[in-house]
Amino acid sequence: MSGIVAYGTYVPKYRLKLSEIARMWGKDSVEIETGLRLSEKAVPGFDEDAVTMGIEAGRRAVAMAGIKSADLQSVYFGSESHPYAVNPSSTILGEYLGIGNNYFAADLEFACKAATAGMQVTLGLLNSGEINFGLVVGSDTAQGKPHDALEYTAASAASAYILGNKKSEIIANILLMSSFSSDTPDFWRRDGEKYPSHFGRFTGEPAYFTHVLQEAKNLLVKGKFKASDFSYCVFHMPNGKFPRVAAKKLGFSEQQLYPSLIVDKIGNPYSASSLMGLASVLDIAKPKQKIFFVSYGSGAGSDGFVFETTEMLLKKQKKTIPVLRQIEDKIYISYSQYLRQTHKI
Amino acid sequence: MITSPVKLWRRHKNVSAQIGKKGKILLWTIIRVPAKSFTDQAPYPVVIVKMQNGENMIGQLVDWQEKDLVSGCEVVSVLRRLRTEDKEDIIYYNIKFKPL
Amino acid sequence: MIISILGASTTKFGELWNVSPRAMAKEVMVNALNMSGLKSSDIDALYVGNMLSGILGNQANLGSLLVEELGVFIPAFRVEGACASGGLALHNAVNSIKAGQYKTVLVLGIEKMTDASLDETTNALMAAGSDEERMAGATFPGVYALMAQAYMKQYNVSEEDLASVSVKNHYHGTLNPKAQFRFPITINDVLKSPKIADPLKLLDCSPISDGAAAVIITGGGSKKIKKPIRIVASEIATDTLSLHDRKSFTSLHSVVEASHKAYKKSGLKPTDIDVAEIHDCFSISEAIAVEDLGFSKKGEGARDIAKEKRTLFKGDIICNSSGGLKACGHPVGATGIKQIVEITEQLRAESGERQVKGAKIGLTHNVGGSGAVTAIHILRV
Repeated sequence: MSGIVAYGTYVPKYRLKLSEIARMWGKDSVEIETGLRLSEKAVPGFDEDAVTMGIEAGRRAVAMAGIKSADLQSVYFGSESHPYAVNPSSTILGEYLGIGNNYFAADLEFACKAATAGMQVTLGLLNSGEINFGLVVGSDTAQGKPHDALEYTAASAASAYILGNKKSEIIANILLMSSFSSDTPDFWRRDGEKYPSHFGRFTGEPAYFTHVLQEAKNLLVKGKFKASDFSYCVFHMPNGKFPRVAAKKLGFSEQQLYPSLIVDKIGNPYSASSLMGLASVLDIAKPKQKIFFVSYGSGAGSDGFVFETTEMLLKKQKKTIPVLRQIEDKIYISYSQYLRQTHKI
Repeated sequence: MITSPVKLWRRHKNVSAQIGKKGKILLWTIIRVPAKSFTDQAPYPVVIVKMQNGENMIGQLVDWQEKDLVSGCEVVSVLRRLRTEDKEDIIYYNIKFKPL
Repeated sequence: MIISILGASTTKFGELWNVSPRAMAKEVMVNALNMSGLKSSDIDALYVGNMLSGILGNQANLGSLLVEELGVFIPAFRVEGACASGGLALHNAVNSIKAGQYKTVLVLGIEKMTDASLDETTNALMAAGSDEERMAGATFPGVYALMAQAYMKQYNVSEEDLASVSVKNHYHGTLNPKAQFRFPITINDVLKSPKIADPLKLLDCSPISDGAAAVIITGGGSKKIKKPIRIVASEIATDTLSLHDRKSFTSLHSVVEASHKAYKKSGLKPTDIDVAEIHDCFSISEAIAVEDLGFSKKGEGARDIAKEKRTLFKGDIICNSSGGLKACGHPVGATGIKQIVEITEQLRAESGERQVKGAKIGLTHNVGGSGAVTAIHILRV
């Protein structure tokens, strides 16, 4: 069986309060914050991009794993803000991590679930015995169009996971995985366009909820699980409201969901989102606990996993920079600074 | 400033070995009249850092606040984009320093 | 062998919009020849000091170009060492005469900087430093600003003390018809000027300028000039390219070493110097230079200047009677030769309103980059 060997996350230092955005556009901040259930989002430094953040997260994962970066045999980099349209982020990352040359590599795009798709690809390589250790990175400097609804939630961060099939190194076994896919045009970005487009309320019921809930149900049936079997649940977090609604519909409690809700404090960092929620849970989980996980990517699809933590988790937790600590390490910036740092002016 | 893709490629090993190293600020200044490729980043601090291995390095300071601009401030080296390049240029990654 | 200076001339320094490099060169060549009583055909070789012709003007092969302005196709060379290009060109010319290859040589320093934008020029000047400095976004003023911070901290020197360098040099500039800036400034003016790279402000920094200067030197005698001014020392020293690789941030080792060699060669001491041209690309440069040259005690350079010890008519060793780089201007490749022209005129008692009375021995201090190379020349009557 394969599982998670280590993880690393990176949250940039800067935060923009939603009230700053609302003030710019003359909107009622309280109404927006209540509706979206978040109050601030993470903004990248002027010179940060998906690759630089991915490298930070990747280095942290390698440090936790206690392996040499040359032991990594695959790199899958998922993002919707790859620095290049053509030129692999995965090998830039591989080079700066010092992985060497003998590894499988590709860049993935599937909106916010590019990295979890990468995990499924990696598991294929692991379970077939092709490799022993593989790295998956989800990283985004999500671009929100000024004055658009998504401006309040589009954020930046990176999550990196090392998966492996060596029992002694695994901190969370992957008991089960599946995926639910369709052609549902809820949110898209045309080639050459700077900002994505979306179809308002269509992104809710027929998009996010259909896929997340159906994949969740498939997972529960496939594994013969019920919600109460799990200590924690993690869902993709486009805002603070959707994962709470999904959890409730599936019969999960607030306590099971709460530790994963990084969105409340940093917004939605797209490909890093659900994996950072998972990291936040792994930061505090105990051994032999089951974690229910469903991601979502617009266009659309959901990747589901059931994780079970091992004794090894306790040892490796000591080697991490907890997600919560990074969330609290922040500098607030103004709206105009945000425009500068995200290259809108 | 020469930012040839060949140079970027040739420097991989050196640069990657320098990521994540700690040091202390020896001297700092704030560049207010920037060089050509750095115009949209100005004003920005440039620091000379004494690394833990005894060597000195020079670099831009990022994610900084006023209180970090002091001799003795602990920093760590990070990889960042060098500057805002032209639309068709290669993206150049370089070592910069971040206060701990 | 005695190396004598037979001709010396500079253009006005400043924003010479309508004067081409060729025209600048021709002007000083003609004037230098006139002063020396020589013809072009008496010149055996041409050495040119220049930094930016290739970077800003896309023109290399400068020796070949400028020899056309002299009108004779003699051996011609361009020598480059950033802002020390002039001093290095002179050193090479001196060596060629001592080696017996040439007898009479014209050395020209020349720079055209105002054809390019400020952005381009700031960028071009960074070529004087290292790759690491460029990639850190450290502009030339930025590198000297780091030095200034180290110096001010180590010796408890104030921004006012440093500002006195610019004030002195501007005062001297009012007495030099060739200077770019001919108005006085106050300490307050300097302190209030916009910051360039903390703590250096606009008026701590030398300007962007155009200009040319030429000297004619010979190993033979002169029919016209009875007792020509002699070059008694021409010494060069180098140090690391990057500031951060140096052993000290408050002293330029290349200056200490080159001047030490020059004093030794000429059998002179710092206190023998009556008048000196110092490379004040920034106010901090002159403060450190007067210490490295042995005029002031370590740490007292800026304070001595503030006390007017280096000021015309008041001081002991007068520094930058021309107005220095700050007020006279700094067309990079020309500066080293202009310094020689200034000292030559001082020693010939031809400096008019800014004459240092009884000046017999003079020194020029020409530095490239942040101290990677220094050229020191000592002249005497």
